[in-house]
Amino acid sequence: MRNRTVLIGLDGATFTILDGLMAEGVMPFLKQFTSGGARADLRSVIPPLTPPAWTSLMTGRSPGHHGVFDFFRLTSPDSRQIRLTTSHDIQCETIWSLASREGLRVTTLNFPLMFPPPHIDGYVVPGGWMPWRQLRLGCYPPDLYDRLKALPGFNARELAMDPGLEEKAIEGCSQEEYADWIELHIRREQHWFEILRHLMQIDPCELTAVLFDGVDKLQHLCWRFLDPACLGESPSPWELRIRNLCLDYFRQLDGILAEIVGMAGPDANVVIASDHGFGPTTEIFHVNTWLEQNGYLAWVGDAGHGENGSQQLGIGQFARHVFELDWERTTAYVATPSSNGIYIVRAGAGGAGVPDAEYGRFRQKLIDSLLAFKADGAPVVSRVWTREEAFAGPEGALAPDITLALRDGGHLSVAGSSEALVPRQEVKGSHRPEGVFIAGGPAVQAGASLPQLSILDVTPLLVYSLGLPIPQEFEGRLPEEALDPSFLAARPPAQAAPGEPPQPAAPEKKEEVVFSAEDEKIMADRLRALGYIE
Amino acid sequence: MSATYDQVMSDVLGLLDQLSDDWEYSGEITAETGLLTDLGFESLELVVLGVSIQEHYGEQIPFEEMLSDIGKRKLPDIYIGDLVEFIHKHLERAAVGGSI
Repeated sequence: MRNRTVLIGLDGATFTILDGLMAEGVMPFLKQFTSGGARADLRSVIPPLTPPAWTSLMTGRSPGHHGVFDFFRLTSPDSRQIRLTTSHDIQCETIWSLASREGLRVTTLNFPLMFPPPHIDGYVVPGGWMPWRQLRLGCYPPDLYDRLKALPGFNARELAMDPGLEEKAIEGCSQEEYADWIELHIRREQHWFEILRHLMQIDPCELTAVLFDGVDKLQHLCWRFLDPACLGESPSPWELRIRNLCLDYFRQLDGILAEIVGMAGPDANVVIASDHGFGPTTEIFHVNTWLEQNGYLAWVGDAGHGENGSQQLGIGQFARHVFELDWERTTAYVATPSSNGIYIVRAGAGGAGVPDAEYGRFRQKLIDSLLAFKADGAPVVSRVWTREEAFAGPEGALAPDITLALRDGGHLSVAGSSEALVPRQEVKGSHRPEGVFIAGGPAVQAGASLPQLSILDVTPLLVYSLGLPIPQEFEGRLPEEALDPSFLAARPPAQAAPGEPPQPAAPEKKEEVVFSAEDEKIMADRLRALGYIE
Repeated sequence: MSATYDQVMSDVLGLLDQLSDDWEYSGEITAETGLLTDLGFESLELVVLGVSIQEHYGEQIPFEEMLSDIGKRKLPDIYIGDLVEFIHKHLERAAVGGSI
């Protein structure tokens, strides 16, 4: 026996915001759904970042196994070059492929790292960094795009990524641009919902999944309007207008959630989950500057010391490490601003490098120095993970040597600066490890408020709901405390027979697209739009 | 997988014709069409196009070399004829040597 199963992703959703919105009446459906189902904080992976976290939920495996650590990846463990992470880099089977392999049909919309699209029995429309003008290439089956294009109101430009709109939204962030950015995401979520509704009506699949990523986008830019603690006692008329626009986004999202759950029907199990949580960030740690000040990094000429204009804001700053760093004098660096990861240059890769025999001592010294870095009397780095601690598994060799958590929960900046730590001019939003889990349906214990779950626990729950045996490779557990006891007794969970782990559907050859300076600019703009770059 | 220059040109033009219809682009796309100036491609779109072409042929094609070369030579654009020639050259090499 199986239940139709719906996964609704709310990228970056946190109860810090959602609880307030439910209490204020902005999200009445979510309030009702939550009270009638189960809820828990959902612990993300290290780092709490969209690509590794959603991939963990999609595979039931941690980053050291599935091999996704960031939006980008090194081209090889010894390389200094990075390239875009694609679906081919996922080294474990996704739940989409698993369900499809078991004879179930699947719809998956707007999830990252779904390009090139996996060939599953169902429908794929990729999300993440999928340019709207090439969205056709990311849709599966191949005729899906034309079918969607024929829908009333279909708007690929607003549905997928439009570099022009992204740039418009991020350049300057004037008052008008804030409003445009929010309104774009209100329309974007509606576009995704229209596609979902169409597919659920014409061909309801056993597993249906959709991701709404405007939650993350708004929280990055608009945290100070969403979090009442940041808004202040006497907000300006413009601040109130932006807050109301943000509330309107969540109000309309609530309506979409209600319609999806209604369409799924009473026999469906519905899981709402986020990949990570959110909180305020108030300062910027220019980690490459800190590494330079502490003798670990050297720039070529004046690179990294610019102080003015957009260069200083970070446009094109990441991935420039390849040609802006003096590799004869650099032993540690940060390549991307998203994963909070430091790479140690190893001997043999050209340049200086740390010999294998000295690696452990060198890394510990670097960790100790980072933990000792203080500002205003308090440590700036709140936690450090080694590669073995954060990314145990066969794919860990591509991961950063050291991963940091900062005291304000922020992301590292790769842009050069005269000061290693600078206060932000205004509060922004940044990721936190604690996301949300809300579930409802016949399998779910009504009214259960549970201790924290792991994002890795969601995958076995989805598989269980689908009536499939749970693969032994899954690293999470089935959260039985979230399940209705009578349902659980009637359908005890089964574990898949031991055997060879399923392999991801990947082509024999993998692309090795490395970014040019032009690519970097677009990618940097995109990251900056997300708040990853200063 | 090997393909003649004409086959590659036909494949690439067919792909871009199909895509440009989605953008309501009305101009003719030929070997002389510039991806940046005529079609207005952003760099991410070049990357995605490259991944799609690799998918089509099932071969790894080092587009980074082409992009890097264009950057070094400060060329104003990437013309479809140049792109096709680059793809064809690497498909030929792959068919002969199995390595590119």
